[in-house]
Amino acid sequence: MRRGEVLVAVTALLAGVGAAAALVRGGYEVPIDLVAPTLVLNLAVGWSFVGVGLVARRRRPASRTGLLMVVLGFAWLARFLVAVDTTPAFVVGVLLGSVSLSLFVHLLVTFPTGRTRTPGQRVLVLVAYVLSAPLDAVFLAIGASRGRGEGPPPNGLLITPRNGEFSPDPVDLVVQAVVVALCVSVLVSIWWRWRAAGVAERRALTPGLVGGTVVLATLLVERTAILLFLPPSAGVVLAWSAQVVLVVWPIALLLGLLRSRLDRSGVGRLVVDLGEGPAEPGRLQSVVARALHDPTAQVAYRLPATDAYVDAAGDPVDVSPRDDRAVAHLTRDGRPIAVLLHDPVLAGEPDLVEAVAAGAGLAVENERLHAEVRHQLREVRASRARLVEAADGARRRVERDLHDGAQQRLVAVGLALRLARTRLGAGSRDELDALLAEAGEELTGALAELRELARGIYPPLLTDEGLGPALISLAERASLPVVVRAVPAERPPEAVEQACYFVVSEALTNAAKHASATQVGVDVVSDGDGLRVEVLDDGVGGADADGSGLRGLADRVAAVGGRFEVSSPAGGGTRMTATLPCG
Amino acid sequence: MTARVLIVDDHASFRSLARRLLVAEGFDVVGEAGDAADAFDAVRSLAPDVVLLDIRLPDLDGFGVAEVLAGGDGVYGAPTVVLVSSRSRGDYGPRVDASPARGFIAKHDLTGDALRRVLSGGS
Repeated sequence: MRRGEVLVAVTALLAGVGAAAALVRGGYEVPIDLVAPTLVLNLAVGWSFVGVGLVARRRRPASRTGLLMVVLGFAWLARFLVAVDTTPAFVVGVLLGSVSLSLFVHLLVTFPTGRTRTPGQRVLVLVAYVLSAPLDAVFLAIGASRGRGEGPPPNGLLITPRNGEFSPDPVDLVVQAVVVALCVSVLVSIWWRWRAAGVAERRALTPGLVGGTVVLATLLVERTAILLFLPPSAGVVLAWSAQVVLVVWPIALLLGLLRSRLDRSGVGRLVVDLGEGPAEPGRLQSVVARALHDPTAQVAYRLPATDAYVDAAGDPVDVSPRDDRAVAHLTRDGRPIAVLLHDPVLAGEPDLVEAVAAGAGLAVENERLHAEVRHQLREVRASRARLVEAADGARRRVERDLHDGAQQRLVAVGLALRLARTRLGAGSRDELDALLAEAGEELTGALAELRELARGIYPPLLTDEGLGPALISLAERASLPVVVRAVPAERPPEAVEQACYFVVSEALTNAAKHASATQVGVDVVSDGDGLRVEVLDDGVGGADADGSGLRGLADRVAAVGGRFEVSSPAGGGTRMTATLPCG
Repeated sequence: MTARVLIVDDHASFRSLARRLLVAEGFDVVGEAGDAADAFDAVRSLAPDVVLLDIRLPDLDGFGVAEVLAGGDGVYGAPTVVLVSSRSRGDYGPRVDASPARGFIAKHDLTGDALRRVLSGGS
């Protein structure tokens, strides 16, 4: 035991002795048969709160519950000052007696952290304190020297049947009503908290709340005994039982505080569980949830080189903090590898969460790698589906272009020639000449359109002459000024060359169609083992990287193992960068 | 009696050549329209006997236009509809037979005789 704790314990013992002395030798007459049970129960309550409070404080230093329990224990013992037959002692005893009731409400409402979390809790605790010492002080000050001269003050300590007629004054009635309202509010608050709590939180809350509820309910019945037509003897039984419950309540609170700690063996079981059984996705999460007694616990794995997290199946997970869950970061060699999303009550158990995280360490790394692979697989599947869709879309466009373009022109050629034949005998030479010229023009147009279409399907210049001439030709045919500033002299692998060409081609189409750009710059430079393609326009920006066109480009780049980035601030032009590995 | 024909197609070059071809072969081409909306107006105002109707139009397709023209309210006088397309009839599967149109002529096969055959039910 630490010195401070020893001092508190000794003080509590002395306070107990002092309380006994006050009751026996305070100067009032106390029925002899009530002295022993009164002392035993009250000392048990006081010492129980102080002793268990000290243990709670040591085991859970972050929680204020232990401190509140110690203070409540002392306040409980200090109530015995009313048994000393002097005015100051009476006043102080009455005030401290009221404070102990407020401390009780404070403890119950804020258990297990000892701190108010919601405005409702703050109001309850505040009302409990205002109703106690300050209100009693007012009563004392306005001369309601209750009891003094009309009966022995230790009546506040002794449990005896209520005497005589029930004739309370209005002030009494109001005070009783307020106390009853407070008790009911506290019960409702407890009920709400318990209902809203997760499984892990309920494990910690239940013992303390059940004990506190019993005490409070007993108090409530006792206060309303008259209204409930209970005989005076029933009030005595209730009051005694409330005190008995108060003796064991601190232990229930401690149990709640330590409950998860009692389950530390669960961490050992977690390590064993992880070693056995099939390594299926999500298994780690279910084992961790079991160890933490928190079915909502979720493990999310960090994708390397990003801030994105995925679950075991590779689906994205939002790990931003929320009110209804806490986030614990798991690291390995200083790198964040995963997060554990859990019930906020476990945030009061950092060592437990840490122990579980450490126990799961290697398994987390393993499952993270699996999750990463699954995520990649998912991306590849999605990208493959998009590529197929894009290819189908491209075929549809080719069909439409052929139908609307060359095919219509060739139909016109056929009709013109047929008409010319029909008019061979009847028509004039000029008419025939015009018809043949018309047919020739349509043929020329059809040829040009077919050429353009073929080039769109695959540029022959790219195969024959390489990226430089192909990009320059692309720039020359573009509908806005394009400057090709740099292209490496060496030819990269065919797949990279194609990807590079289509990135530029699509970027130019975008710049012309959506960006309202007046000029575009194209740079293709060697970048380590690969190529970096950059297309920068001076347009309106705001390009949507998830739009189908840019998504298609990203897929095409990803298909050759490259990376595609779009920076397009509104009003600041669009910069598309593709990094393509050549190895 | 010479059939009065309305040509509906979004390609001006086809309309122009088809008009000259059909006129040369004895038809009376009373008007042209470039899309479905114009076609409805033209049918109402010109009351043609025959509508030579391209299947691919920018607004409503030829099948839809044929359905409207054949509609029972009589606004359009139920002219005979002949569908045309630069695609072949097989590209449209059973849709041509299912439509109220009298028949189908591939654009490159269009002649006065072909139109007469369709109008006389020879398809």
